[in-house]
Amino acid sequence: MRETARAALPSVASVITSLVVCFLAVAVLRGGLEVALDAFLAMTWGAFGDFPRFFDGGTSAAVLRPLGESATKAAILTLTGLSVAVAFRVGLFNIGAQGQLIVGALAAAVVGAGVELPTALHVALCLLAAAAGGALYALGPALLKRYRGVHEVISTIMLNWVALSLVENWLVTGPLRATTTGDNSIAGTAQIHASAELPRLLGDVSRLNAGILLAIAAAVALWLWLTRFVGGFQWRAVGANPEAARASGVNVGRAFISAMLVSGALAGLAGAVLILGTEQRYPATIGAPYGFDGIAMALIGNGHPLGVLASALLFGGLRAGGTRMQLFGVHKSFPELIQGLALLLVAARLMWMKVSDRLLKPKGGP
Amino acid sequence: MRQCAAVTVTIALRHIKKRFGSQVALDDVSLELGRGERVALVGENGAGKSSLMNVLYGLYGADAGEVAIDGKKVRLRTPADALAHGIGMVHQHFTLVGPLTVAENVVLGREPTKAGLLDLPRAKAEVAATCARFGFVLDVNARVDTLSVGSQQKVEIVKALHRGVSTLILDEPTAVLTPQEADELFAVTRRLSDEGLTVVLISHKLREVLSFATRIAVLRRGKKVAEVTPEESTQASLAALMVGEREAPAAPPASTPGDVVVALAHGACGKLKDVSLEVRAGEVLGIAGVDGNGQRELAAVLTGLSRLDGGTLHLLGSPQPSLTPRAARRLGVAHIPEDRLHHAVVTDFTVAENVALGRQHQAPFAKGPRIDFEGRLSRTTSLLEAHDVRPRAPSLRLGALSGGNQQKLVVARELDANPKLLVAVQPTRGLDLAAVDAVRSRLLDFRAQGGAVVLVSLDLEEVLALSDRVVVLYEGRVTGEFTRGEFDERLIGERMLGVRDA
Amino acid sequence: MLLALLSSVLDAAPAVVFAAVGATLSERAGVVNVGVEGMMRAGAFGAAAAALVMPTPLGVLVGVAAGALVAALHAWLCIQGRSDQVVSGMAINLVMLAFGQFLLEAAFSSPAGTPAITQLPKWFGHSPLTWLAIVLPFVVHLAVTRTPWGLRLRAVGEKPQAVAAMGVRVTRLRFGAVVLSGAFAGLGGAQLSTAVLDHFESHMPSGLGFMAVAAMVFGRWTPLGAAGAALFFAFGDALRISLASSAPGLLEVVPQGVLLALPYALTLLVLSLQRRGAARAPAALGQPYDPELR
Repeated sequence: MRETARAALPSVASVITSLVVCFLAVAVLRGGLEVALDAFLAMTWGAFGDFPRFFDGGTSAAVLRPLGESATKAAILTLTGLSVAVAFRVGLFNIGAQGQLIVGALAAAVVGAGVELPTALHVALCLLAAAAGGALYALGPALLKRYRGVHEVISTIMLNWVALSLVENWLVTGPLRATTTGDNSIAGTAQIHASAELPRLLGDVSRLNAGILLAIAAAVALWLWLTRFVGGFQWRAVGANPEAARASGVNVGRAFISAMLVSGALAGLAGAVLILGTEQRYPATIGAPYGFDGIAMALIGNGHPLGVLASALLFGGLRAGGTRMQLFGVHKSFPELIQGLALLLVAARLMWMKVSDRLLKPKGGP
Repeated sequence: MRQCAAVTVTIALRHIKKRFGSQVALDDVSLELGRGERVALVGENGAGKSSLMNVLYGLYGADAGEVAIDGKKVRLRTPADALAHGIGMVHQHFTLVGPLTVAENVVLGREPTKAGLLDLPRAKAEVAATCARFGFVLDVNARVDTLSVGSQQKVEIVKALHRGVSTLILDEPTAVLTPQEADELFAVTRRLSDEGLTVVLISHKLREVLSFATRIAVLRRGKKVAEVTPEESTQASLAALMVGEREAPAAPPASTPGDVVVALAHGACGKLKDVSLEVRAGEVLGIAGVDGNGQRELAAVLTGLSRLDGGTLHLLGSPQPSLTPRAARRLGVAHIPEDRLHHAVVTDFTVAENVALGRQHQAPFAKGPRIDFEGRLSRTTSLLEAHDVRPRAPSLRLGALSGGNQQKLVVARELDANPKLLVAVQPTRGLDLAAVDAVRSRLLDFRAQGGAVVLVSLDLEEVLALSDRVVVLYEGRVTGEFTRGEFDERLIGERMLGVRDA
Repeated sequence: MLLALLSSVLDAAPAVVFAAVGATLSERAGVVNVGVEGMMRAGAFGAAAAALVMPTPLGVLVGVAAGALVAALHAWLCIQGRSDQVVSGMAINLVMLAFGQFLLEAAFSSPAGTPAITQLPKWFGHSPLTWLAIVLPFVVHLAVTRTPWGLRLRAVGEKPQAVAAMGVRVTRLRFGAVVLSGAFAGLGGAQLSTAVLDHFESHMPSGLGFMAVAAMVFGRWTPLGAAGAALFFAFGDALRISLASSAPGLLEVVPQGVLLALPYALTLLVLSLQRRGAARAPAALGQPYDPELR
């Protein structure tokens, strides 16, 4: 337990510090602690269920709709976060989740619109295509690292822009652009078939779809792999001390490549969830930097799959609830500031570690 | 032996004491250096030679004692202080910037300028002048990383001379040089000292010490045991002073060697030039030698961490042309590496996870592809108990254990794999006495059960105490082989130092 | 047509030139800087916001200071805090992305951008910063190759122990280089909001910081190389835009997206074709300095 606490403390402390700082920022900018408190409460209800309205006699939708929105956002954050985290666990920094997500999203959109299949099969095929696309796109940096010594940070940054330019400035606006029907020219690819849509979980109450289940399953599976399986143990050994891992008979190069493939597949799945769950086609642009949010989730979650999930649920929630802060004159991007500040504080991990080691110093000890 | 009186004492180290943790590195050592003297410091690995000079160069703070220059007490807290007092040091590991030129490296930190710009022509001229004045042949325009190691060392020396040092410390300067480069180095340095430069030479090579030094100080286990002149010394007498008179270590019970476990023929790999040796079941083969004579490479070859450049290796009778660490482990090779933290353990893993490392695929640590937590825990618990590793906490982060307990855990883990061969490199370095005894008795137990051990240690006493046979390595070749009963410390010491047969 | 092309390069390139040249300084000192994007954003916002209340040239200086301030944070995290330098850089990017948006809201209540400011005056048809961008790479080249500071900078990124052994403070040298790198990135950002446009836009610098990193790598960590690569990338971009209007037929054959991807693909290609172990990044890049390590 002490080890878990030691590892988690920097993240928890960073998130709390960030929330407090941002709270004070609102208080200063919008005239008083009370306004700030109201704004933060509004964000909380918007994130995790409007319980005041529910207990005031509101419908269950008052709780379910915010929760659904939060979970929808959290699903994508979880998957990109896991993508970055799994590479991190073998000691690689995958900055390319954004590019892998774009490739995966496109694959899902193309398969979703291009073939006709029974529902379950169609969704599965789309997910598979997205995972394969993302994995293949991550294979390049892994091979370049292994055989050419090219640092993965540089290669994945480059590939992000390559994917963005090729997909959004060419394919989606060119060869794959939806054929126009009537007068309405639609930007982006064609609408996917209904059989490829991720099933909605809450009916008409919320857009919440099965993506969150996929994300939770991925987090749990990755957690089990890293903690319960010999292969995951070897990945962790490579990440923590590649020399010792090699001396223990682990094939370090193979661990790099396989972890990068999983990382790319997870980012690709995030793209698929975005398309099959929310967008229903590859839009003119994905716009949001989901892959970079993944870096934040992975680091705030300390590379631990369940930590990533927790962090994604929290920040997915804050983002969904953030819109309600507008009533108090705070822009809806405010949660991203909370997230960014928390990430910056987590970056000073070693300093937190010193604090936590002092707090958790075993009494007596060896 | 008479005490040599220096002509004019310029630097005096008085009663220097230095401890590293529980180890005493320097125990009340005094040394005087006179202008223009060439003083050699000799002693075994760990005798305190480098530590003493690192105190003088401001890298280590002494726990007690003082340094006086020209009769005045000085404080040397950083190399900058030492340089300001005219003391320069050339380390075994160079501090040169590869992509910069010779001239740029030499003037770094004190660059000549013209109108705020680097005056490179003047820098080159000045450095060239320094080179010419002291007789160094160096191309000041050459990039340092294109130079031979010998030339790089000259750059290091020129760096110090360019700063106008009056005392130059050379730490094992010839370790990386060819014999020709070494001869040239000594010729140049001798002339410098004739011009008034004080030179301190740290070396293991008694031949060069005898031919170069005007005075020789012998250190043994942190104490200065003698100061002699080369005229009154021989390589043999110096070796005897370095090793000292020791009690004959208690001999382990005689072994009955079995089948050949390791057969290396003409093995070559980096510093390992040409080594043939055999190790049999039930015996300890000790590898004696001064640091850097190919021992590290030998251990890497036997454990699959490095491939042979030449020669052949047989393990348990089968040839191993391309041994990997994984294959070595499968064959039953266990390894206690020299650098535990880099090669043996993961400090961020728990104790139990570290026990599984290397056998993560096997029972009791795995059931199929899954980790067997119960098996791992019970095996770890029993190992901690059996080898007295403290605290008995399998789920504690390994980094929280003391160094001695980490090492005991590594030994426990490696022997627990029921290996046929154990390659142990410096297995007791840095441990306290109790832990040293524990580790040594484990090695002997393993041998008694029919295991083969290759023991690499820089501590000759340890090698002699544990080994059934001793092979001496010098410059990557075998210069002597001894069997228990014919161990002759003095002779082994001479072979370690490259003393040629008379 | 060629003149028009050249003219548009002169407007588009300086931002990336400044940022790329700045990035070389940080990395030559041994500190990874993938936070250029965030530092540029700080500069762009700082300059535009300041120019609302003061003359625009002074606003540019505020932008430079903003970039330097953000870089100081990066330097502190990396050098004093010994954080992972890539983590710190990416954190800087994400924080600035959010912080810029937040400030837009808080100060101007408009999510799209700041109100318009007076643009920098034009000298010979272009902003003074354009002409500065032509001169500055040579000045920095001179500083890196021909001054004592430059010699130490090059040395500290290769072997900090060597610099320390000669009595130079490694941490101070590195801190200065990172802050300077941020000042340059800030200048690049300021050029976007005060010369290319006349306000700060919420998406600025929309990836130009990463393009600067690519240019730095492409230019092999040298100021002139980085500036040349930045110019090359900007030229390619200008060509693409000009082709889009003048020869739309050509873009049927070579689509815009492919041209956009080209700088990054080329950089990656050059990197992967390089001989393994060939001299490229500074040897000590990314490693915190440990005085006890020899």
